[in-house]
Amino acid sequence: MTTTRRNLLKFVGGGAAGALLTPAPWRLITDSALWSENWPGIPRPAHGGITARFTHCTLCPAGCAVRARCVAGQPVSLTGVKPHAVSHGALCPWGIAGHHLPYHPARVRQGPVKEATAAVAQAIAQRGTGEHVAVLDLRPGRTVSWTHRRAMAAINGGLYLTPRQPGYSIDLAAAKTVISFGAPLFDGWGTPGNVIAARSIFRLIQIEPVETRTAAMADLWLPIQPGSEFMLAAALAGNMTLAEAALITGVGEQALAAVQEAAESGQAVVLAADPASPLMSLNEKYGALGRTVVARSDAPMPEAWKQAAPEMSMAAAPDGAIRVLLIDESLPGGYIPWRRIAPKLAPDAVVVVFTSSNDGYARHAQFVLPAAVYPETAEDIGPAIDTVAAVFRIAAPLIAPVVPAVDPARFVERLAGLPASEPLRERAGAIHKAGRGTLLDYTAAKSTPVKDVTADNFWKTLSQGGCWMDDSAKRTAPENLVFPAAGEPPRDERPLTVVVAEPRRGGLESPLMSKLERESNLRLAANRVALSPDGARASGIENGDRAVLETAFGRLNVVVAIDPSVPAGVVEVAGGPRMADLCGGNGRARVVRA
Amino acid sequence: MTGGKIAFASGMLLALAGGWLAFPRVLYRTHPQPVDFSHKIHAEKAGAKCEDCHAFRDDGTYAGIPTLDKCSGCHAAAMGTTAEEKNFIDRYVTPNREPQWLSYARQPENVYFSHIAHVKLGKVKCEQCHGNEGGAATLRPFAQDPISGYSRDIWGRPVNRIALRTEGGMKMDDCVDCHRRQGLEYSCLGCHK
Ligand code: SF4
Repeated sequence: MTTTRRNLLKFVGGGAAGALLTPAPWRLITDSALWSENWPGIPRPAHGGITARFTHCTLCPAGCAVRARCVAGQPVSLTGVKPHAVSHGALCPWGIAGHHLPYHPARVRQGPVKEATAAVAQAIAQRGTGEHVAVLDLRPGRTVSWTHRRAMAAINGGLYLTPRQPGYSIDLAAAKTVISFGAPLFDGWGTPGNVIAARSIFRLIQIEPVETRTAAMADLWLPIQPGSEFMLAAALAGNMTLAEAALITGVGEQALAAVQEAAESGQAVVLAADPASPLMSLNEKYGALGRTVVARSDAPMPEAWKQAAPEMSMAAAPDGAIRVLLIDESLPGGYIPWRRIAPKLAPDAVVVVFTSSNDGYARHAQFVLPAAVYPETAEDIGPAIDTVAAVFRIAAPLIAPVVPAVDPARFVERLAGLPASEPLRERAGAIHKAGRGTLLDYTAAKSTPVKDVTADNFWKTLSQGGCWMDDSAKRTAPENLVFPAAGEPPRDERPLTVVVAEPRRGGLESPLMSKLERESNLRLAANRVALSPDGARASGIENGDRAVLETAFGRLNVVVAIDPSVPAGVVEVAGGPRMADLCGGNGRARVVRA
Repeated sequence: MTGGKIAFASGMLLALAGGWLAFPRVLYRTHPQPVDFSHKIHAEKAGAKCEDCHAFRDDGTYAGIPTLDKCSGCHAAAMGTTAEEKNFIDRYVTPNREPQWLSYARQPENVYFSHIAHVKLGKVKCEQCHGNEGGAATLRPFAQDPISGYSRDIWGRPVNRIALRTEGGMKMDDCVDCHRRQGLEYSCLGCHK
């Protein structure tokens, strides 16, 4: 055999063919894939002793009790605490992955602290008569909120602003029928474990245009014409005939009669997507006030704290008069659209936001200061909407802050010249002094009446993630049940009604949520909207197309999902700050193909 | 023409030989264990069972390879006459130095595996995943794939595991396959927490 170029090529070809019949190339492909999982920069979990630590999740006001499995002191998985009287061992997907948040790549990691402090001091010194310094607290009811209030009381012209807060709690276990006007009962409304535990007791009638997860799990879902909820409520209140209401709402007369019968058969409660909605006043008719809908009770607090600025809604703040606005967005909470805030600011106002996310007010503030995230910092959680007894739960930190975070309470305290304090400890002292209620110690798995615990042990247990729960008190009807409805929205010819049927908390989200949202499409991501098949066809849009969502307040690039459960004439959007800025309040939109 | 066929066939044969005979030898790097421990002697002479040394802690977590205290409990002084035992006592027990055992079965960092769930609840025998390690008179060298970082036992002994057979290893396919065969649940978050 002679060595020719052709033979050489055949030899190489034979070698290549032979190699394919061996494990070598296939194994090298698999190995390379595995090697790529270990690239430099990929975090290495610590090795070491396994311990359990306890805390409470602060990602929403439910404040579920959390057991963290820690390896070498580092939390590696979070689960619920089974014997907890309210959260019953359940956590939602946000809570399960809460320990990922400190490492979020999009987290706010640094900010101009010195510059912000100087600008605020200068603005306060130069402010004119009638100009205010204000704190906007997105999560009122916490101990930190009282620090803000005390600081604002100490500053001349200080205002303490909050989103509209219902002054009530709902006892689901005392209801036989729940009539929900779009309240996402199974999707972020209250404490998941508590709602699930009470589910077998009540019959759920869900009234909303889109078949949400809650609607799908309801005993009866009434798909209503968007925006006609008040007409249905008027019919239930007896101010309109069922026949008239049926015509306007698109809900059959028989179905309306069934709702009326269920509501009047006793122990019904009405819930609304906006907890401060005037729809809540139907509860008076059904005798739910003081029984199922009860005045919120707060944990005792030191007497001295009562010298605090009152809560004020943004609408009540004077126009053009806020010279310094400090926004505490350290925890996700009720986002107020920026266009409602902007008119309240003085022309040369200084706006500082304490946040971990660039998605909310960081888009509007001059100074963005990094805040600690769960579970880096010790704080308590305000009252949950579905917990009737007062509770005091501390989110004990599970890790040291990963970034140099600024504590909004300390910042405000210093601004007002208040001495540095340990408000959580002071509050625990006041609760202990009151001598009521029970201390839940998850580590020792026991509950002890407060009167049998020393003040030191009480604080020690609470600061290790324990919980104080008040004795059941006399139930009273709430004072602030509803807030006045916002005025009529301006006329808008855009063809689609916006329905926010996908509650989102805002703030950082773990990669687990991106699995649910972006990869599996189980939830609407912040940049997705859903259209009915007819609506999409009319706009020439296919499933997955890029489009522009346009409202009176701006435009946003979105991806469209076609969902047969969305009625024609509706665009379903996810909640969250961007959508609230774009859609909140008006409710009309157009979706055009990009 | 014949010359071309011969060239093709020789190329192919060479590649086949290289891929099947030489590749497995060069793929793994081997490292000796610090002590030549005999499971066989411990099982036969001392009547030890797997769980005597590879125990569960009180909270249900698995202790894995025993630490030196466990060994020193019996081997504070020599119990036999072997050179290996003397070496072990001199190098580790007396200076109270932990032997750096190389774990054949350590899963990668992104895997959570619960021994107690499998052994106590699932009644899986140790041998099903670890082979007959308990009957071996000597510890085989630890073989590691330097590219993936996996031990040879995780991949499975034969190098040619091209997803035709999913037994004999501890890869994800093996776990999923075993769960599937037994009609048990499996999901990403079960192991990748
Ligand atoms: S419901 Fe709220 S508090 Fe409970 S786990 Fe989820 S985010 Fe955390």
